[in-house]
Amino acid sequence: MADLATDLGRIKLKNPVMTASGTFGYGAEYHKFYDIAELGAVVVKGIAPFPSHGNPTPRVAETACGMLNAIGLQGPGIDRFLHDEHYLPFLRTTGATVIVNIWGRTIGDYAEVARRLEADKEGIAALEINISCPNVKAGGIAFGTDKNLAAEVVSAVREATTLPLITKLSPNVSRIGEFAAAVEAAGSDMISLINTLTGMAIDIEKMRFKLANRTGGLSGPAVKPVAVRMVYEAAQAVKVPVIGMGGIATGADAVEFLLAGARAVAVGTATFGDPYAPLKVIRGINDYLDRHGIGAVSEIIGKVK
Amino acid sequence: MESGMIISNVGLVGDYFKVTFYAPEICATARPGHFVHMKIARADDLILRRPFSICNISPSSGELEVIYKVVGAGTRVLSTLREGEVCDLLGPLGKPFGRPAPDEFPVAIAGGYGSAALYMLTREAKCGGAALLGARTREDILLADAYRTAGFEVAVATDDGSEGHMGLVTDLVDDVLLRHHDKKLRFYACGPTPMLMAVCRLMLDRGYPDAEVSLDHLMCCGVGACFACVVKIKADNPDGYYYARTCSEGPVFKVKDVYLEK
Ligand SMILES: Cc1cc2nc3c(=O)[nH]c(=O)nc-3n(C[C@H](O)[C@H](O)[C@H](O)COP(=O)(O)OP(=O)(O)OC[C@H]3O[C@@H](n4cnc5c(N)ncnc54)[C@H](O)[C@@H]3O)c2cc1C
Ligand SMILES: Cc1cc2nc3c(=O)[nH]c(=O)nc-3n(C[C@H](O)[C@H](O)[C@H](O)COP(=O)(O)O)c2cc1C
Ligand code: FES
Repeated sequence: MADLATDLGRIKLKNPVMTASGTFGYGAEYHKFYDIAELGAVVVKGIAPFPSHGNPTPRVAETACGMLNAIGLQGPGIDRFLHDEHYLPFLRTTGATVIVNIWGRTIGDYAEVARRLEADKEGIAALEINISCPNVKAGGIAFGTDKNLAAEVVSAVREATTLPLITKLSPNVSRIGEFAAAVEAAGSDMISLINTLTGMAIDIEKMRFKLANRTGGLSGPAVKPVAVRMVYEAAQAVKVPVIGMGGIATGADAVEFLLAGARAVAVGTATFGDPYAPLKVIRGINDYLDRHGIGAVSEIIGKVK
Repeated sequence: MESGMIISNVGLVGDYFKVTFYAPEICATARPGHFVHMKIARADDLILRRPFSICNISPSSGELEVIYKVVGAGTRVLSTLREGEVCDLLGPLGKPFGRPAPDEFPVAIAGGYGSAALYMLTREAKCGGAALLGARTREDILLADAYRTAGFEVAVATDDGSEGHMGLVTDLVDDVLLRHHDKKLRFYACGPTPMLMAVCRLMLDRGYPDAEVSLDHLMCCGVGACFACVVKIKADNPDGYYYARTCSEGPVFKVKDVYLEK
């Protein structure tokens, strides 16, 4: 059994495998299958200061070795997240390492949700800032595709909370390293990537968009090579720990990200096909290390030649 | 999660097939309206599971039946699987139909594979019931004889008039209301969404707000984690609705709770 303990600076994980926001609900859905405290961390679906309906349906479409989604960040809002027994109060009872993914429509929204979580932070290990959402004040362009805006969001959240911050980068930019450096400079303690790649699918028989939202985010095995490249570039550009995700379904997939420079990984879409996928990834990483006679996962981080 | 070993997989009529799995754990607790979320064997490039209603179970032998229509890549592969192959099954999932009380007369309103989804009701009905089966054409009518054998009376509606009433299955409801006016009727429905919306309106109009519909939608996780599978359900907020997850909060909803678009 290799040492899987993972040091992400301000947070330490028992192993490097987290869940990807939006693919693991609020933890309870999968706690029926296994003890979610066995995971490195549980990242919950995005929380905003307000409840939100999300997008019209259809919201998902399967594509070749992947899927498009346009869920549209449906969620209960911060009040219910903090007080309703299904959300944070439940997570506190599990002993899991909990990371709360946050989003907003304005910079003020991000700061507000961070402030609310700061005030009730028992059982929260870190916040993950999802900057891939449309900025209503800038005609819907995502915060995450403008370097200055991305940094502004991070600064605003940094002022609102002392909790460790992870900034989740959008892959829909040409120079990811610059975004990584910008959010690091703005005070982000960690960086995670990739969020989904913007895509589109059309039903040719009906001559209609497959998603009601027309565009959606591509995830799953199809995006993995793009994700590995971006994680590598981000890890080259910053000193803070990088968390890699995008198409991870097996231990071997995860090891690719670790070798590229990620200190931890997240499993997303794979959980839909197999609820046990995150646990299998933990076991797979361990098997890889044992097979290579490597004692600790920390020894392979960024070791690609 | 259970490994469902295929016992048989046979063509029924038209594009419909019946697959029987050995899945004793799921059989032990499955009820009408429950579904299984299936990882189709050999379909490795399809990353998502496919949801199918449980059509019938035999808890003593551990056999679970699903009736499916071949409509796309996944069901096409499923139709080629042989005895002995294994599909991973999550289930039973979802909130099932309410159990008919001993003095209630269940009426199943079905379109397409809805006939399979409602069939398990015959196991829970104490004194018969009625099945109203709608289909495009006579070949697509599923399980009419099975319903009769189980003690249900059957009425059929086809779009082309090749069997029974020519028209919509909802047209058959008033006749049931008339003939069984002395009974305590309880309505259940499953089928294509436009049909179910018509059922909702009809049931509300005829005074059956507690009638239940199984609203099927595109699913992803199947367990309430991703919010892919949602439908509009009435809510006490300015919009009058919220998006409920059919996989975990449904698929069965009462017609009085379904938010109907204007
Ligand atoms: C709760 C529930 C119960 C169901 N029960 C049955 C049943 O008993 N018998 C039966 O024949 N069919 C049933 N369906 C529909 C069945 O899930 C789809 O026909 C099947 O997923 C199609 O897969 P495919 O790969 O062949 O089609 P594709 O069109 O290639 O599938 C692409 C994607 O769309 C989804 N999809 C396509 N059609 C539907 C649909 N009508 N409903 C939901 N998702 C769809 C697939 O799951 C997949 O993710 C049920 C659906 C739900 C939600
Ligand atoms: C259905 C779905 C919902 C998602 N919701 C969120 C979300 O709320 N917030 C977020 O930061 N990322 C969200 N994501 C992105 C994932 O967390 C992850 O970054 C991406 O899917 C790539 O990883 P994967 O290929 O392993 O799924 C979502 C992805 C999917 C498929
Ligand atoms: S399919 Fe994921 S919430 Fe219903």
